[in-house]
Amino acid sequence: MFTLTLDALLVFMIGTPVVGWVIRKKGYPKVQGIYALAGLLVAGYFLYGLSSEVSRKGIVLIAGFPPFNPPLGACLQIDLLSVFMTMLYIVIGLLTTAYSIKFMERDSSLTEYYTLILGLVAGMTGVVFAGDFFTLFVFWELMCLTSYALVAFRKQKWESIEAGFKYLIMSAAGSATILLAMSFLYGMTGTLNFAALASRLSNAPPEGWLHITLALVIVGFGVKAAIVPFHTWLPDAHSAAPSPISAILSGVLVQTGACALIRILLLVFGSTQLAWQTTLAIFAVFTMFVGNLMALLQNDLKRLLAFSTIAHMGYIIFGFATVSEEGLAASLFHVLNHGIMKSLLFLCAGAFIRQTGTSDLRKLRGIAGAMPITSAAFTIGSVAIAAFPPLNGFWSEMMIVAAGVRAEMIVFSALALANIALSVVYYFRVVRIMILEKPTKVSRKATKAPMPMLIPILVLAFLCIFIGAYPVPYIDASSKAAEAMLNIGGYIHAALGGL
Amino acid sequence: MISLSYYIACAVVLYIIGLYCLASKRNMIKLVMGLEILVNAAHLNFIAFSAYASPSYIDPFGHSIVIMSIGFAGCVTALALVIVTYAYKHYKTLDVRKLRRLRW
Repeated sequence: MFTLTLDALLVFMIGTPVVGWVIRKKGYPKVQGIYALAGLLVAGYFLYGLSSEVSRKGIVLIAGFPPFNPPLGACLQIDLLSVFMTMLYIVIGLLTTAYSIKFMERDSSLTEYYTLILGLVAGMTGVVFAGDFFTLFVFWELMCLTSYALVAFRKQKWESIEAGFKYLIMSAAGSATILLAMSFLYGMTGTLNFAALASRLSNAPPEGWLHITLALVIVGFGVKAAIVPFHTWLPDAHSAAPSPISAILSGVLVQTGACALIRILLLVFGSTQLAWQTTLAIFAVFTMFVGNLMALLQNDLKRLLAFSTIAHMGYIIFGFATVSEEGLAASLFHVLNHGIMKSLLFLCAGAFIRQTGTSDLRKLRGIAGAMPITSAAFTIGSVAIAAFPPLNGFWSEMMIVAAGVRAEMIVFSALALANIALSVVYYFRVVRIMILEKPTKVSRKATKAPMPMLIPILVLAFLCIFIGAYPVPYIDASSKAAEAMLNIGGYIHAALGGL
Repeated sequence: MISLSYYIACAVVLYIIGLYCLASKRNMIKLVMGLEILVNAAHLNFIAFSAYASPSYIDPFGHSIVIMSIGFAGCVTALALVIVTYAYKHYKTLDVRKLRRLRW
């Protein structure tokens, strides 16, 4: 119905409560986690088939029969960007689900947990697959609803409740803003299909309502993409959620917001005469500075990582704002790298929290003595994300700066470079605290993380080193995705044909 | 027939009322109501635009979006009320300013 990948995710999502109900009497709670893993594996297998079809045809269009074909009916339009992003979602989803099986074993209502994780991955996949605004909105709401519930998952704790409520209010207001922007686009053109919007708005003069709609789109998606000043939910939500969920939220969900934003800006507003690139670059620089400066002040490990996510969203949006193929490719490569690095760091933070019961950096001093493997993986992640040469973060961050210079945004590129230097400071502070300082009472008592949690951490650490050592195929994949993103003519032709 | 611009003006005013409600109210239930007002501003816009899409018929596309969106808004409200219930059990108050234990 919606391509096999998305179908598999939705079917397994609906199946999880059934499995949970069946095994409730028998009492093997891990079966649900393994079922969710199987669902993600099946989706990944189907994605492999879909990716070869997409690379053969360029764009795969999934639509209804006439008269419910585009531009009237809803459709999915899958290009290389969608496949690239979905690959990342499924890899991160698999690793975090595998990690959750051990990490969440002491929690209750695991059935809901795995259902919501599959729903979240399905929602994100749908957002990047969508070929019209209506489909995008439906999957967007699926993604938002599941993430609200997951942030407030540990409902006995005040932290999750507060962060969940704040996240819900801000993000739902953002969704309502998107809906209002949709209604204006619908009023101006009478359609919500991306291809039809692109062809009807091409060379539209910069008149009042178009400006308002553009502002509403940037604000609406900006809430999810954590653009400053709409970022205030992020540090709370990411530090209150269970660690595997923080890894998904920080690693891929905010990036989904940014990708949806740039896809709409390029397709719908790309051919109008509005100058949104500079606006977006200014927002990006503010986002970097606020993220990095706030991260310097944090004493809580997960909040520090959350603020670093805001800073990295700044880099990604800056790369998108160049609107050159290089800049988009650099940003997409950074989306991939940041997803891997930040999930690694959050999963390590989760291991520290589970073994010591705290995420306060002052109490985690000298933890490397008690948890050497996790600390080593955390160090690899920190060095990678601080852009040190042999690892993956270096390549993408330098590519973003280089693309900025070539797009003649030299001031912004210099500011981005300064920010990368700032991020070195706080990541090295964390590494120094963990390795060099004397162990405290808490960190001396910690035991090693169990093996099922270490495997996903080690896989992600290995990926950091591997992509850093051999980045060429990944850069290729991201530049192909960027090419697909800029191929607006092909996108319109695939949806509307000869119309 | 009333001119379309009145409906748009009404929707924009509703949107601003919703934002004002989110920014100024203390009661958590009122915040949830503010969200509903925001969403309904967009709904009103959709309905008005679909009614004026063509002089001879009403475009059903806008209506289909509104029906789906009402469903989503219902889900979001239900989830929000669940969280409010837990917050009330925890703090014995609905005042959102008492929930200031999170650091900024």
